Amino acid sequence: MLEKGKISSIQAIMLMISMILPTAVLTVPAITVKSARQDAWFSIIIATMAGLLIAWMVVNLGLRFPEKTLFEYIEDILGKIPGKILGFLYIWWFLHMNALVIREYGVFLATAVMPDTPIIIFHIVVVAVAAYAVRNGLEVLSRANQLLIPTTVLLALVFILSIPNMKLSRVLPLFDAGLFPIVKGAVVPASWLGEIVTFAMIIPYLSKPKEAYRVAFLSILLVSFFLTTSILEALLIFGPNLTGSWIFPTFNAVRMISVGNSLGRLEIIIVLAWVLGGFFKIGVFYYAAVLGSAQWLKLKNYQPLVLPVGIILVALSILIHDGIVDLLDFLKRVWPPYALIVFEAGIPLVLLIIAVVGRKGGRKIA
Amino acid sequence: MVKFRKLTKAGLLGQIQDNFKKIIASDASSKSIVLSNDLEINLQRIKVILHKCSDVVYRDFIFAQNEQIRLALIYIDGLADSGQISNQIMRALALEVPMAVPGQNITKSEALEFIKQRGLCISQFKETEQMQDIIHAILSGDTILLVDGHATAIINNSRGKVQSLSNSEGKTMVRGPRELFVENLRINTALIRRRIKSPNLKIETFKVGNVSDTDIALVYIEGIVNEKLVAEVKSRLEKIKIDAVLESGYIEELIEDNPWSLFPTVNHTEKPDKLAAMLLEGRVAILLDGTPVVLTVPNLFVEYFQTPEDYYQRFLFTPAARFIRFISMIITLILPSLYIAVVSFHHELLPTPLLLSFAAHREVVPFPVFLEVFIMEVVFEVLREAGNRLPQLIGQIVSIGAALVLGAMAVQAGFMATSTVIVVIFTGIASFVFAYSASIAFRLLRFGLLVLAGTLGLFGLISGVAVIAIHMCTLRSFGVPYLSPIAPTTGADLADVIYRAPWWAMFSRPRLIAGQNRKRQEQGLKPSPQKNK
Repeated sequence: MLEKGKISSIQAIMLMISMILPTAVLTVPAITVKSARQDAWFSIIIATMAGLLIAWMVVNLGLRFPEKTLFEYIEDILGKIPGKILGFLYIWWFLHMNALVIREYGVFLATAVMPDTPIIIFHIVVVAVAAYAVRNGLEVLSRANQLLIPTTVLLALVFILSIPNMKLSRVLPLFDAGLFPIVKGAVVPASWLGEIVTFAMIIPYLSKPKEAYRVAFLSILLVSFFLTTSILEALLIFGPNLTGSWIFPTFNAVRMISVGNSLGRLEIIIVLAWVLGGFFKIGVFYYAAVLGSAQWLKLKNYQPLVLPVGIILVALSILIHDGIVDLLDFLKRVWPPYALIVFEAGIPLVLLIIAVVGRKGGRKIA
Repeated sequence: MVKFRKLTKAGLLGQIQDNFKKIIASDASSKSIVLSNDLEINLQRIKVILHKCSDVVYRDFIFAQNEQIRLALIYIDGLADSGQISNQIMRALALEVPMAVPGQNITKSEALEFIKQRGLCISQFKETEQMQDIIHAILSGDTILLVDGHATAIINNSRGKVQSLSNSEGKTMVRGPRELFVENLRINTALIRRRIKSPNLKIETFKVGNVSDTDIALVYIEGIVNEKLVAEVKSRLEKIKIDAVLESGYIEELIEDNPWSLFPTVNHTEKPDKLAAMLLEGRVAILLDGTPVVLTVPNLFVEYFQTPEDYYQRFLFTPAARFIRFISMIITLILPSLYIAVVSFHHELLPTPLLLSFAAHREVVPFPVFLEVFIMEVVFEVLREAGNRLPQLIGQIVSIGAALVLGAMAVQAGFMATSTVIVVIFTGIASFVFAYSASIAFRLLRFGLLVLAGTLGLFGLISGVAVIAIHMCTLRSFGVPYLSPIAPTTGADLADVIYRAPWWAMFSRPRLIAGQNRKRQEQGLKPSPQKNK
């Protein structure tokens, strides 16, 4: 096997949280609130259902082919040539998604924290740090993530501090928008939660594969919890109109916090949590792309691919969009059908049906 | 004919040895074993129990009064007073007895009584037939005299004074033994033996260095240590081909897992009590002749937050002490960089009054804040180095004088802002809080973070911290992840990381270090007042 490390279930949960949460908290609230207004938190619940369903499919597939990742069993199910083609598409998807994430990061840092620094500097640094972790393998990636994830707890702390700014009336009346906008608002968060597809690259390296279901479901539920918290935080402070009009409403919510006269401008804490989380979010997709390419090319070692893939990522993340408006528009309109329907739900569903009907893959691990 | 007899005798002894190993395996405490009449068999048995204990001395010789009678002395080199043994026991029995009692012929059966009455020039001795007593006596520093043909051993009191160094000027201890290791290997092994009187404490000695031919000892407790670890340490030590080893630092660099890392993955100590505690957790120690610094492996990063006092003082205090150490580590690493990042990039973070006072201080300063901090850090490191080199008394004067006078003058002259001086000096003080060998890594990394914070602000600082964290996650020390039991987390081992479990609840040894035998003690040791029935 290319990857010799094994990670525990708790490490896997933490990795999955870091993989989905950082950018979700940053970008999703504005998009969802614009559509579902004050019922955005309900959209997240719908999205969670979709996320759980995708997680179930991915784990079911993964357990049918023990010790194999997505790129290996895709060929077992579909045969060599179609498998290779689909595998290539997944490599592209991991790269594309990662480039988008890196761009979101750069945009966020450049607009909110350091406006005078060229955006490519952030991209290069983020990719370099992630590359260092990826080069050292899954064990190191998940250990470092485990070490630094407590900053996520800071997000909860920040939420408590902003309670004085909240008004419950801002999320009333309930279900005002109607069913369709709520479901429409659920699409973007669902595409984020659907990133759990990447778990297919990690299932073979769990020290207890039996617990894969639990890992996937718990990750989705925890991410949804944090996401709902941050949406509610923004809604309760600003109400649906303001929240929907900002790019990073959660960030603005933190800006409002002031405890006494001395403790204020806490947004840097959230920046810290996001920046640290971002290393690992980018790291996981980076790792998936590198490991997938190595398996696709049948290499013996994935480390030589780390540098070239990193260069591609930096270049792609710069070239992919002209600016933040373009990026957000893409995330809102193109990303959900492209990611959610094709890569996160569609292909896994087809694979699962073929595997079940054609009785492919070994017995599930009891 | 003689050869044939010897062969059979050797074969017989081999058999005895094999059988005896089985007996010991079945009854580890060797409680029920009694001495035999045959000296050879007794010696073999003791050698089996004390195998791999290179500091045990076996000396057999012939009784001067009757050439048929063989005697044997067993004692521990370093622990027993060898001058007393050779003068008062050996000299008497092998040489002087015939002078005192000329012409008397002693038979084998009379020998023991005769030696007791007239042979031994020693004030205190005991007799025993139990193997257990003998082993305990040897390990306590007594000398065993075995007489051929008798199933009784004489335990001579020969407990010498082990010449250790008392902790007069090194690290001051609030509570705990003041003893320190010395440069002599034998005294050091004796210091360990005095604390762990178990036949399972193994000391294997060999030599390193083609020219220096230095004695090196591998110390571990059989039954607690992981056998694979011992084999790994041995194989790494055997690979060393070097002309000379003058200090254990040589060995450290030649056996560590990550030669290019700033972080030490081999720990060292000069305190026998700390070493004993580490051995009891299943670590392996490497002692080198000529240095008081003893190496221990595997080394975890959390060890740098643990001090011997943690285990002697009240356990409720430990979390607070460890928290202070942890905070000091963070301060050492990032405080100056954080200061640079905040002052030059993110001043909105500061409350307005503080920002105004910072600005007022910095108004007269000609340098950018990065350069200011950098210069001040270099100055502080110069002072520290000077303090290390100078004799202790002068060193103190230099450092205090320099820190106070230089700092105040630099501010008055308008070279530095007051806040910069505060930050740098506080960071410097914080770097003294935790172990020196780990603090050098942070002191050096601090300069890297200064550059990152000076160029990219908080983002750069966080990136740097992430790289350091990832780097530490890649490290291993003899197969054990460096950051365990935090990352990867091993639940039970956390009992000695954030807090220290009280001794009545410290049930198991660290899982990733110790071998199979992880049980430290029985349940239910928690003291409680006697209940009236």
